[in-house]
Amino acid sequence: MLTKRVLETQQEDKSQWLRDLMALVAEKRDRVAFGQLFDHFAPMLRAYSLAQQPGAHLIADEIAQEVMIRLWEKAHTYKPEKAAVSTWVFTLARNYRIDMIRKTARFVDDVDPSRLWDEMEDDAAEPFQALQEKRAKEQVHKGLKELPVEQVQVLAKVYMEGKTHQEASDELDLPLGTVKSRVRLALRKMEVVLRGSE
Amino acid sequence: MMASYHPPTELLAAYAAGTLKNSYALCVATHLEYCSECRAAVQRLNIVGAELMEDLAPTEVSESVKSAVFDRLDQIEAGQSSSPSSSASPIGSAFVSDVGNASVQATTAPSEPAGNVPKSLSYFNISDFSSLTWKKATKAISSSRLFCDVNDARVELLRIMPGGSLGKHTHIGEEVTVILQGSFSDEDGVYCRGDFMIRDESHQHMTVATNDAECICLTVQDGPIQFTGWFMRLLNPFLRIMWVRSAEPAY
Repeated sequence: MLTKRVLETQQEDKSQWLRDLMALVAEKRDRVAFGQLFDHFAPMLRAYSLAQQPGAHLIADEIAQEVMIRLWEKAHTYKPEKAAVSTWVFTLARNYRIDMIRKTARFVDDVDPSRLWDEMEDDAAEPFQALQEKRAKEQVHKGLKELPVEQVQVLAKVYMEGKTHQEASDELDLPLGTVKSRVRLALRKMEVVLRGSE
Repeated sequence: MMASYHPPTELLAAYAAGTLKNSYALCVATHLEYCSECRAAVQRLNIVGAELMEDLAPTEVSESVKSAVFDRLDQIEAGQSSSPSSSASPIGSAFVSDVGNASVQATTAPSEPAGNVPKSLSYFNISDFSSLTWKKATKAISSSRLFCDVNDARVELLRIMPGGSLGKHTHIGEEVTVILQGSFSDEDGVYCRGDFMIRDESHQHMTVATNDAECICLTVQDGPIQFTGWFMRLLNPFLRIMWVRSAEPAY
C-alpha cells in the first residue's frame, strides 16, 4: 500500500516537473529546461521510431530531433490543463510519423493529413478537465499493467508499431475481429472508452 | 446538438494511433467537431499512446543528436528559416498538395469555412455547400467529389433533396457517412448532424432525407452502391460504370 502511494506520488511529481519545464520553455525560451526535456523524451522518441522501423537508427535520430524541434517551436500552444506533457509529445511524434508516411507513400491521395489530426486538439477547454485528465492518466498507467498480455500486444502493435488492424491481424495470425475486440476490451477495461455498445 | 451515432471504438483508437487512412480520418475528424464525448475519448486514447511510449525501453541518444538540435535552436532564434526538413513541416506546408490548381491554394491560407461547413473540410476551400459543383446522380441526389484515397476509396459530399430517397441499396465494401446538415433516416434510425455511420455488405437499407430540409453528408465509399429495389436495380450497371470511371483521378 505504501509503495503504491509512493509510486503514485512519483508519477505526479514527474508530471508536474515536466509541466514546469514546458512552462520555462514556452515563456522564457529556457534552454536548460529544454535540455532536460530533451534528455527525458529523446530516448523515448527514438524507441517509438525503432518500434515501427527496427534497426533504422538514423531515422530514429531524425524523429527524435524533429519532434524536439517541434516541441520548441510549438511550446506556446501546449495547454497544461488539457494534457500531460508526455501525452502532448506523443501526439507530436504521431503527427510527425503521419507526415513522414505521406511523404514516402506510393499513393498520393491529394490530401495533407496533418491537419486532420492537428485541428481537434485545440478546441474546447471544459471545466474539471485538468482533474479528469489526471484521473484518466492514472487509470491508464495502472490499467496497462493489469491487462492480459495479448491485449497489450495488440495495443502496442497499433500504437507503437503503427500497424493497421488488418496488418496486426496478419502478423499475429489472428482473425481481424479478434484484433478489434482485443482493442475494445483493453480500452473498456482501462475506462478509456465509456460506451458499452460497440 | 450532440451526435448520437459514433465511430466504433477501434476506429477511434486507430485515429489516435495515427494508422487510419486519410478518408476515414477525415470522417472521424469531422465527427469530432460535433461530438465532445468522442473528443474526450480521443484525449484519453492519446494518453494510452503516451503511456505505451513511456513504457518502451528507452534507447541511448548520442550527444551529436542533441548538439544538432541545439544548433537548430540557434538558427531558429537567429530568425533564419530552419533547415529544409523542418520548413517542410505541416506548419509551413499544410496546403501544398498535388492537386492541379494547388499552387493558388498554397500561397493563400484557406478561408475560414462558413457556418455549417466543418473545419475538417477547410483543406478543400469550401466557402459554402451551394458553391460546390454538384453532379446529379439521380433526381434526388447529387454528389461532389473531394478526393480519392488509397484503394480507390472515394470521398465525396452527397446532397439529398428534402424527402429524397437513395432507394433500397447495399454496399460492396464499406461505406462511412457523417451528416453535415439536415437529417435522414433508414430502417435503423434517424440520423442528424454529426452522426457517424458505417455500413457494409450486410446492411441493406433505404435512406430517406427528412422532408423539411435537404441533407448534406460526407461519405467514403470503398466500393459502389448496389441497388436492390426492383426498379433501382436497373441502375446498377450504370452506376458501376460511373464508379469505375470516376475512380480514375478526377484532375
